[in-house]
This record gives sequence, structure tokens and C-alpha cells, in this order.
Amino acid sequence: MFFSPRFRQGAKAAVPIWIAFVPSSVAWGMAAQAHGLKLDEVILMSAWVYSGPAQFAVLAPLAEGKSSLQVLVAGFLMNLRFLPMSTALAPYFSGVKRVPLLFASHVVSASSFIVSYLQFQKEREGVSDESGALQRIDGYGNLAFFLGVGATSFLIWVVGSGVGYGIALGFPPGFEEALKFILPGYFAGLLVVEMKGWAMPLICVASLLAAIPGALINSGWGWLVTAISVAILGWVLEQWKLRAS
Amino acid sequence: MGLMAFAVRAGPQLFFVGRKFPEAWDRLLRYLSYAFICSIISVTLFLTGARFETQVAPYRGAALAVTIIIAHKTKSAVTGMLVGMVLVLLFSWIR
Repeated sequence: MFFSPRFRQGAKAAVPIWIAFVPSSVAWGMAAQAHGLKLDEVILMSAWVYSGPAQFAVLAPLAEGKSSLQVLVAGFLMNLRFLPMSTALAPYFSGVKRVPLLFASHVVSASSFIVSYLQFQKEREGVSDESGALQRIDGYGNLAFFLGVGATSFLIWVVGSGVGYGIALGFPPGFEEALKFILPGYFAGLLVVEMKGWAMPLICVASLLAAIPGALINSGWGWLVTAISVAILGWVLEQWKLRAS
Repeated sequence: MGLMAFAVRAGPQLFFVGRKFPEAWDRLLRYLSYAFICSIISVTLFLTGARFETQVAPYRGAALAVTIIIAHKTKSAVTGMLVGMVLVLLFSWIR
């Protein structure tokens, strides 16, 4: 499967993801070093969790020695977004045995999902237009493409984290403040670039503001509760508006 | 945490084959992620433990605002982050 034409096609399609992953993985490695994590912890977390936002979410609680339950809940809720992504990809892997699927599912990320899903949809529409009927899905071929995207991006992410850690070690004293700004700054930038509609900016601003009193009331769970409440409230409002229109 | 991330990724591949995730629920999960990220940005920048950092919060808030504006104008998160980083560094030296 590896190095098959479909795998190479996926790897080629993943080049923009690699470029995007370099700064974010290096930023994560640098921020993790600034928060006191060791190199093996940084690489292990990048490889095992492989989710920038979740790794970011647990960095501060980990560094401050917060309860492991809080770290787990934060990480779990952040990773819930993989559920619809993985569900959307599943039909394209029909006929593939469970073991390769289990291994491949580890490299499901927002980027690998978008590139693969759009490609599978394009291929399906193209073939069904020509023949007039839906084609049989080549599950193994699609899996090879997905791995070409996902596995190579995964490697870039893990290596980039280690490189970021090394770069942060080389920073002279007095730069701690800037290093600690890297990840919040980067994620704020990412959110702004992705902003669409009215619900997302509203939810972002409301949770940014509500997190402070929430954390002051309860430093462990306050910000988590306010984030969940704001997201649900924003979603309910959006649903209500959609039904009304 | 890694196990839970894996379960969320692998579960649908094993049990949801041929099923579709409702779009409304998909949006709710995305909103949860955004809300978390924003809450964490806030907590990371403005709080230490259960204490609000009154002295540095205005500087960091200004740097965050500039980061957001630059990222929005340039459509580049990295450019925004770099400008914000330099600002935070300058503020910390001036203080």
C-alpha cells in the first residue's frame, strides 16, 4: 500500500498541509518547552495525541499540575470534532479490513480529512457522471490515498515538534514572555482566518470573555463549563434562527 | 488522552460505516472546539492559577488584538502570531 501510485498521489496532495504543519508544530514544540515539558514528552504527545488544539488545550493545565481528570476532559472534548470527520470518511473505505482501518484512523486530522474527503467526492462525482451510475468504491485505493496525506503530515508534525523544542532551548533568557505567546497567538490567528458566518465570531468573543470570570470562580473547571455553555448557547441560537427563517 | 483521541477517530471507522453524521451535530462539535480554544487563549494569557494578571493583561490583550487584526488582514495566522510575539516581547522589556 505504501508507495503505491495512490499513496504517492495522496502525499503530493498533502504538500500544502506539510507547509502549514511546519510553523504550527514548531510553535507547539517551542511552547511545550516553555511550559516545562521534556523532549520525550513533547514527541510522545505529538505522536500519540496528534491534535494541535488538544495538545494546546492541555499544555497549561499540565504545566500547572491540574487534575488529570480535567486534562482528560479538556482533551476529549477538543477531540470530539474528529467524530464527524471520521464518520464522513468511513464510507469511502468500504471493504477494508478492520486492522488497517484502525491504524489509519490515528492520522485523521482536520487537514487530512479535508484533502481526502474532497478528493474522494470529486472522484465519485467524476466517474458517476461519465457512466451514469455510481462506481464501486475502491476502499484500499482510497485508504492508500488517505495514508499518503495523513501519514506524511503526521511525520512532519512529530518531527516539527522536536525541532521546535530544540529551537526554544536555544533562546536566550528574557524571551519567555514571547515564547508563551506563540501558541495562544497562533491559535487566535487560525480562528480569525477561518471565521465564517455570525455564530462563530460570537461564540469566540463570548467564550474569550466568559472564561476569565469562569476561571476566577473555579480555576479548575470554570473555563471548561463556560466554554461548553457558550458553545451550546450559540448553537441553540443558530438552530433557532435557521428554523425561523 | 491519546487513547481517547484514538477512540474518537477509530470508533466511526468500526461502527459508523455507511452512516452519516447530522450536520447540526457536526456544527455543535465545531463550536465546542472554537469555544475551548478561545477560553484557553484567555486563561493562558490573562490568568495565573486563579489570579487575574492585572499588570500584564493590558499588554497581552493589546498584543492579542494586534495579532487578530494582522491575521485577519493578511489571512495568515503565522504573520499575526509573529507580530504579536514581537509586541509581547517589547512590552515585557519596556515594563
